Amino acid sequence: MKLTRRTALLLAAATALTPVAAFAQDSVKLGYQLPLTGNTAQYGQDFKDAAEIALTKFNASGALPVPVEIIYEDSRSDAKEGVTIARKFVDDKEIVGVLGDFTSTVSMAAAQVYKKAGMVQLSQTASHPDFAKISKWQFRNITTQDQEGAVNAQWMMDKGIKKVAVIAEQTDWGQSVAKGFVEPFEAAGGEVVYTEFFNRGLADFRSIITKLEDQAPDAVYTGFFYEDGAQFLKQMAQLDAEIPIYSTSAAYNDQLIELAGEAAEGLLLTATFLPTRMDANVQDFVTEWDKTHDHAPGQFPAQAYDAVNIMLAAVVKAYPDLTRESLRDAVAATSDFPGVTGNTTFDENGEPLKELTKASVVGGVFVEVE
Amino acid sequence: MLDPYILQQLAIGLSLGMIYALMAIGFTLIFGVLNVVNFAHGEVYTIGAFAGLMAISAFGPPLLVVLFIALAAGALAGFGLERMAFRPFRRFSDEASLKSRAMREATLMSSLAMSIIAREAMEMVFGSQFQTVDLAYLINKPIHIGPITIVNGDLIILGVTLLMLGGLQWLLKKSPIGLSIRAVSNNALGAKYCGINTDRTIIITFVIGSAMGALAGILVGLYYGAIFPSMGFTPGIKAFVAMVMGGLSSVPGAVISAIILGLSESLSTSFMPSVWSDMVAYAFLLLTLIFFPQGLFGARRERV
Repeated sequence: MKLTRRTALLLAAATALTPVAAFAQDSVKLGYQLPLTGNTAQYGQDFKDAAEIALTKFNASGALPVPVEIIYEDSRSDAKEGVTIARKFVDDKEIVGVLGDFTSTVSMAAAQVYKKAGMVQLSQTASHPDFAKISKWQFRNITTQDQEGAVNAQWMMDKGIKKVAVIAEQTDWGQSVAKGFVEPFEAAGGEVVYTEFFNRGLADFRSIITKLEDQAPDAVYTGFFYEDGAQFLKQMAQLDAEIPIYSTSAAYNDQLIELAGEAAEGLLLTATFLPTRMDANVQDFVTEWDKTHDHAPGQFPAQAYDAVNIMLAAVVKAYPDLTRESLRDAVAATSDFPGVTGNTTFDENGEPLKELTKASVVGGVFVEVE
Repeated sequence: MLDPYILQQLAIGLSLGMIYALMAIGFTLIFGVLNVVNFAHGEVYTIGAFAGLMAISAFGPPLLVVLFIALAAGALAGFGLERMAFRPFRRFSDEASLKSRAMREATLMSSLAMSIIAREAMEMVFGSQFQTVDLAYLINKPIHIGPITIVNGDLIILGVTLLMLGGLQWLLKKSPIGLSIRAVSNNALGAKYCGINTDRTIIITFVIGSAMGALAGILVGLYYGAIFPSMGFTPGIKAFVAMVMGGLSSVPGAVISAIILGLSESLSTSFMPSVWSDMVAYAFLLLTLIFFPQGLFGARRERV
């Protein structure tokens, strides 16, 4: 097709008319970018299931006169793919807000597109410290290590623990675990007697544990995921090191207990979601989830469920004057939103301020510590 | 001087060293003694661990039976490996091909390819995460000796290592098959002219070495309770370093070097961050190559 002046004019007119068409729509559209295939597909599928539960419930409640639709796009946890999807969402004038992506890397790549176009982006899991700082359009529904560290520091202080050893994996994330804990703990008058980082996948922690015992701390604060965690716990038990172990929500995984068995007993950690909590909204979500799954929902799907609900509540607030701008402001104004992962308020950077739940392993399950 | 802290670190170092030695024995038999470049030993180790794990979850046999199942799986894996990655390079029997170094070292690539295929296949079937092991099978029950703590697995691994070492020394030095292994490694062409069945000798060496590797895999898997598709990589590197330090063709040398390696790693944690402890092995490798090109327990071949 030759690009004549007339076609150009027609195109311009069509573009100009689209927003008008958007007002005449009979549904509100949101985009959700997430990995549905590839290495991380299991996470993306869980997010989609959680989002569907939230959406079905919302549309049945009649909070809006029109139904809300979510358009899912598969990013395969690939940054290039994430950017393409972001462009597609931005070009679709009917989409007013976006959820996702899963990893920090993909979320941050796509964020550049949303920042330029002015579209609100709420990720359920992107935990990189810089993600929410990219622009006023980025929000997340996952706590940072600064928050978890501060809660753990206070928790130890309340128990009269003054001398702590810190063990964390040698990654950006592990460093942020150590920093997030050490700063508030030392500010409160605690003493860190030993800090050690280890390479992910280290088979043998016994040398580190022996050295740690030699420093005689009152407790150990750890930054690891469940596989390294299981190794560490087993070898602590093997060497009879009876030191209380505190950890982050990253270790909160039923697999940890399955791999470590008895050795996991007494592990203390902070988490945002416990499927065993008796709150009505938690039990609603868990019941719906159990209809289609044979295992209880973990923390990640719960965060996705809340992210979708936060977005939907913002849609209700902004309706009927619903634009990308007004939706962004409504999301930013979220305060004390009662979700299954605790109450959520966004600060000026789009960071969620959440109350963390304290949990412990008792009799082979994670239970809430009052 | 010898306070409980140092004693405990020494005990840990010894047990680490025995674990490396366990892997190094089979590795040295194929790579060093037979003088065949083989980089798939780590996967044979993993196959042994997975075979044992599947036996445990399928019908829960006693530990000794699990070990024999792993041995059998390793022997089979060794046979298959030799057939697919090594024999094709021996199909030319003229003198030039048999003497060609390129022909011999091409198995570096073919064995590496087999190891990647095996690892990826295991990841596709089992996933790359740690497998759940029945905790009753783990060999990590603590035993207290004065101020130090070891586990029952340490004793089992020590026993198996000594048994393997003794058995292999007898096999290589006293038995007819050992004589042919040494002959083939010394001069394949000459051995052939003397009427030794080189193909059969190589297959037998692979079967024995791989069975030992697989046994090491299941023992270490149960020692740590960590069985996953890429578990063979790190021990493979440690075994390689121990073999080079021990002078390539000396099995006792590799065992002693493995123990030195384990002790240094465990003691190094006391003086520097643990993230550097892997560097100890590489530092030893470099120092050996520079100052003792024939290995600490130096033997006949200089080339590494």
